[in-house]
Amino acid sequence: MKTLSVAPKAFTGRIAAFRPSPRLVHAVDWAGRWAAPIADVVVLVAAAVLVPAFYGSTNLKTLAIQIAVLGIVATGQTLVLLVRSIDLSVSAVLALGAVIVVQTTSGASVLVTLFEAFAIAAVVGLANGWLVSKRQVPPFIATYGMLVFVQGARLAYSKGQASGTVPGFLRTIGFGQLGPLPMALLLWLVLNGIVLLVLRYTRFGRWIYAVGGNPSAARYAGIRTDAVVIAAHVICSVLALLGGLVLSGYIGYVDLNLGADYNLNSIAAAIVGGTTFTGGRGNLFGTAAGVALLVLLLNLVVVLGLPIHWQYALQGLVLVLATALQGFRQFLISR
Amino acid sequence: MGITLQKSERWGSARLGQAVALLRNNPSIVLIYGIIIVICVVAAIFNEDFRTASNVANILRQSIVIGLIAIGQSMVVLTGGADMSVAMVARTVGLVVATIFLAANSSNGLIVPLVILGAGIGIVLGCFNGLLVTQTHANPFIITFGVANILRGVNLAISSTPIRGVPDAYLSIYDAKIGLVPVNVIVMALVWLGAWIFTTRVLAGRALFAVGGSERVARLTALRVNWTLLSAFVISATFAALAGLFLLSRTGVGDPNAADGMDFQSIVAVALGGISLYGGKGSLLGTLGGVLLLVILSNVFNALQVDIYYQQLLLGLVVLIAVAAYKSPRTA
Repeated sequence: MKTLSVAPKAFTGRIAAFRPSPRLVHAVDWAGRWAAPIADVVVLVAAAVLVPAFYGSTNLKTLAIQIAVLGIVATGQTLVLLVRSIDLSVSAVLALGAVIVVQTTSGASVLVTLFEAFAIAAVVGLANGWLVSKRQVPPFIATYGMLVFVQGARLAYSKGQASGTVPGFLRTIGFGQLGPLPMALLLWLVLNGIVLLVLRYTRFGRWIYAVGGNPSAARYAGIRTDAVVIAAHVICSVLALLGGLVLSGYIGYVDLNLGADYNLNSIAAAIVGGTTFTGGRGNLFGTAAGVALLVLLLNLVVVLGLPIHWQYALQGLVLVLATALQGFRQFLISR
Repeated sequence: MGITLQKSERWGSARLGQAVALLRNNPSIVLIYGIIIVICVVAAIFNEDFRTASNVANILRQSIVIGLIAIGQSMVVLTGGADMSVAMVARTVGLVVATIFLAANSSNGLIVPLVILGAGIGIVLGCFNGLLVTQTHANPFIITFGVANILRGVNLAISSTPIRGVPDAYLSIYDAKIGLVPVNVIVMALVWLGAWIFTTRVLAGRALFAVGGSERVARLTALRVNWTLLSAFVISATFAALAGLFLLSRTGVGDPNAADGMDFQSIVAVALGGISLYGGKGSLLGTLGGVLLLVILSNVFNALQVDIYYQQLLLGLVVLIAVAAYKSPRTA
């Protein structure tokens, strides 16, 4: 985009008119990076003052587990966003995995079922990645098509009503505690930590940022960009499945609408946390803060006793504001 | 393009040459109408109900709602974006209009003002989307996805149960016929023609292609890029609002589940018709084909009594195959 400024003045008059001051650019960049952590603190303080019920021990445990589930899904979503893609099929994979594990535990051994479920998730991720990288389908469309397909497969498989019980070990992971902390939260913290370190210190992590930052430059630098995109999608689908298992362990049953919100929420969490759509910018610390913010806000709707449909509006509002902020930030940075 | 034109003038018929060139440049249009014809012929041979005049009229009438939404969606996709809020806009308009009808005891005098109000809501929401996209440079997919969710919450706040009270006169929008042909099908044909002329003959319509092809080049040729993007979103939301109004006359109740999944279906219709999802390429003829294909497929599925769950599975499969088949050139 820099090359624009060398074009003759007469033609660029209208384009060059907008020259953001460096201070504005820095301010917006800073806001994009720190909006979520700051908003977290504000919400926590406001909740302490306005609704003491928020800090009840039951509510805190609910919050921790919801943060863990969304956090696991959003970790994968962040990886995919970092390589300029997006995954709208997470909610379907999440629900499909839960249905498979719950429905087949009656007969087959748990390990085999788990293996099946993770294999299916990996195949979905592989297909997403293949469509996006090798076939150059816009990621939004490819993964939304996958969402419809996987949802159809799940409904056809369960005939519209899932039955069966959640196996005991999932109950433990989803609802049990290890010392003072819920197991699910620990699982998320460990996962998030591992992926954060992988992104920061390993070759694969650098590849992800390189491919997202500038795909053609990455390709010329000898990185197999398609493989990186596919790997990100596979990891995302597998993590979505894991999130589904924890979620079904937490709520103790599987129904038709399980996990329907996780597409929007995982994307919103990543974006609030400072990941941009144009790839290569963002990190998992921000995503963790975004996850916490979203869950806190949605929980406040419940604690305050507002009608539940305001959750939809709130999710949408957070997504719109975050997208607008990150879009504007990217626009300013790229000029 | 120029070469083809000269050749065809030697043949003596520039018009025919243009048509041939259009088809040659858009193999997806030929393909999609070919598929439609094959499906129709097979279905007509094996199923007696399919070839009745009333079923044909039915198919055409069912294609109106998705058709209206797909026309608007085409405009946005041509600029390289997508409008994921169309279904919710349609639902909002239906619910608001039905609520007011109910509050005013279904009076007939309100029909015209409320239709205008419904279209107005569409224009306002379209402006909102367009301004968000042009002023914040945000990704249009995601930001309209967010707007859709805000509207979903608002819709549930308006009503979570169907609203009765639409006057009988309003239902005639759906029922009126001239002979066998429903009036609305004729009107819809004119709308398609108008939209096609808009995208092929009118400057504002051609600007959509220019902006979708390369925003920078469009800017350098002194096209008003932001106005073009804004107009695309306004057209899209307005057509979605009209679809919502029409849907209201079809069902007769303000339905909180109206137009479910239409946002995705409209994009599928547009993509099946060969409009590039990266913008700048395609034709509304293709979108018409995509709309007809979706409606005919669902009609055939219903005639064959395919389970609703398998219908969704098959729809997903069709979409995935279709998008995988059209390989776009690697950008950058």
